[in-house]
Amino acid sequence: MQVDVELTAREEVPRWMVYGTPVFTVLAALAVSAVALVALDVSPLAAYEVMFVQTVTTEFGLTETVAKAVPLIFAGLAVYLPLKAQLWNIGAEGQLFMGAVVGTWIGLNVSLPMIGLLPLMFVGAGAAGALWIAVPAWLRARWGINEIITTLLFTFVAADIKNYVVRGPMQAPGANFPQTAQLPVAGQLPTVPGVGLPVGVLLAVVFVALTYLLVNHTRLGFEITFIGANDEAAEQAGMSTSKIYLFVLMVGGAFAGFAGISEISGVQTRLRAFFAPGYGFTAIPIALLGRNGAFQVLLAALFFAVIFVGGSSVQTLMSVPAAIVDVIQALIILFLITAEFFKRYSVALSVGRKPGPEPQAAARAEPEGEL
Amino acid sequence: MAGLLAGLANATVNASTVLILAGLGELISERAGVLNLGVEGIMLVGALSGFVTTVVTGSYWLGLGVAIIAGGLLSLVHAFLCISLNSDQAVSGIMLTLLGTGLTTYFGNSYSGNSISGFPERTIPFVGEVLVGIPIVGPALFQSTVTDYAALLLVPCVWLFLYRTNLGLELVSVGEDPETADTMGVDVYRMRYLAVIVGGAFAGAAGAHLSLAFNQIWSAGMTAGRGWIAVALVIFARWRPERILLGAYLFGLFNALQLYSQALDLTLAAGTPFASLFNPVIDFVMNPTIMSTYPYLATLLVLVVTVVRAENRELAQPSALVESYSRESD
Repeated sequence: MQVDVELTAREEVPRWMVYGTPVFTVLAALAVSAVALVALDVSPLAAYEVMFVQTVTTEFGLTETVAKAVPLIFAGLAVYLPLKAQLWNIGAEGQLFMGAVVGTWIGLNVSLPMIGLLPLMFVGAGAAGALWIAVPAWLRARWGINEIITTLLFTFVAADIKNYVVRGPMQAPGANFPQTAQLPVAGQLPTVPGVGLPVGVLLAVVFVALTYLLVNHTRLGFEITFIGANDEAAEQAGMSTSKIYLFVLMVGGAFAGFAGISEISGVQTRLRAFFAPGYGFTAIPIALLGRNGAFQVLLAALFFAVIFVGGSSVQTLMSVPAAIVDVIQALIILFLITAEFFKRYSVALSVGRKPGPEPQAAARAEPEGEL
Repeated sequence: MAGLLAGLANATVNASTVLILAGLGELISERAGVLNLGVEGIMLVGALSGFVTTVVTGSYWLGLGVAIIAGGLLSLVHAFLCISLNSDQAVSGIMLTLLGTGLTTYFGNSYSGNSISGFPERTIPFVGEVLVGIPIVGPALFQSTVTDYAALLLVPCVWLFLYRTNLGLELVSVGEDPETADTMGVDVYRMRYLAVIVGGAFAGAAGAHLSLAFNQIWSAGMTAGRGWIAVALVIFARWRPERILLGAYLFGLFNALQLYSQALDLTLAAGTPFASLFNPVIDFVMNPTIMSTYPYLATLLVLVVTVVRAENRELAQPSALVESYSRESD
């Protein structure tokens, strides 16, 4: 029996695929994760009920989810914007750490009323994140050095710097733990009166809207998308790819810095050595799920916030390791990048002999059939 | 002092084997043009599967074998996504790391804290007694586990393979210029699959060395970033196997220095001129946490110098690294 696979590049992606893919991939990831749950004698239905139903139907769960979503939205934007220009900011985690360090330092050392202190902390954190990616960004723009590797290297350095400051210069006086003193009330993001939601979420939504406007409705956004689609054509059209590269990466870095300080100021209230459960890396599947637009990034971040919060409920209620969240994340990426392939190509499977294909077509199909 | 140096040498060699194994694997994969950021996750899967096999069967050799196979199988996923489906290599690799970390934390829970008797430290037969007698480095190099020796032996093997065999040259050509290699009759897809799978098998072995020889226990996330260091190491080594050895020892030395930094008192005595000026700087520079950034910074420096001095092309990264290849254009 002979199985022939014929691939043809699609002229355009069908509409149902654009919107269906994120949904299908999430469902597929949950289905496969169910196998892991069954292997540990946990009913997947009960686990998912805790994870997705109880999380969004209780007031506590909802508040937690929204609070968790704030840094994830910012981190998602930090990967999303460079991705529009086909650049991978794999090191959002490092920029997030630097934002958290600088923002916390400002919060602890500058005495201003809240109205002045909080904006100053965010500006400082954003600047720290942007500066932290500046070297990789410059290396990419000037020398074409792969940003994936450099942003990653900088992440490890940032993690060490964070660990150093919380054990040394910024450690709370008299504390035995690697952590700073608590931020003054003026440095803590308040909650929206009456609703109990952190103010950070409003800020995050504003930046989502700004990013949407930038990408979809400005000349700069057009240039970013154009360069992302075809950098050589963009150069020929007179656009400066290196300026755009610097811009998207550094703005991305600033977003990651915001992610860091919003987590510290809004949730943790002090900087600890082990404070971030990898938001910078979760930002990658978030940006992938939401690559069609800034508002999709927002939705994807909310979804991941749900599985984070739900994951820790599952851990406490059903004694399932919270690592299930990592597994689900990985599976979502796995199915998403597989789906990308099917978006780009239509696949025709034929089993058995074809009724006399043209000899030329058969010869062309053959090497591809081997993949 | 001699005791301190011997301890330092021993800790350096101990810390290096994992990096040599994982680094060589990553090098083979990257030489064929495929970046694999999943090393960390593959190492964890290797460490857990090897450990569990050893607990169940009592044979650490079987454990090592299973870890190697597990590493190869997991990297097969990466190969399929990146080579057949032309997916983004960075994303696929990160996915593998997340998957490996998650799955091993998830399923390794019940094995956490178990200890086993894994690979024992042995001297080389016949000449071992003499070599161990060499001061300072003798015990470090010649009183080791089989995996330590194997890692050292694999460096010249990989070198010979890449530079002195047809298959190796074909592999390198696929990473430099897949189109031309294809025209010359090299099966680009098959070659890349092979390189990625073998690279993953090396990472699996590195993980098994961690859990079966180095620590002899399983604990979640026990690779502690060594997979990422292996990725950095390949850049540091400028994609050359012999420099992997050099780089692994340098990284290992920094690791060992961190352990001994308290014992190495380099601060100037109180009366010395400028002591108050230099001592805080020395304290900062010798701080164990700050010291752990040096290998990454050194890697970055090497990367920049390599790319900026691109006229020396032989030392630069494989030209087709991170680029997917498809034949549809012909």
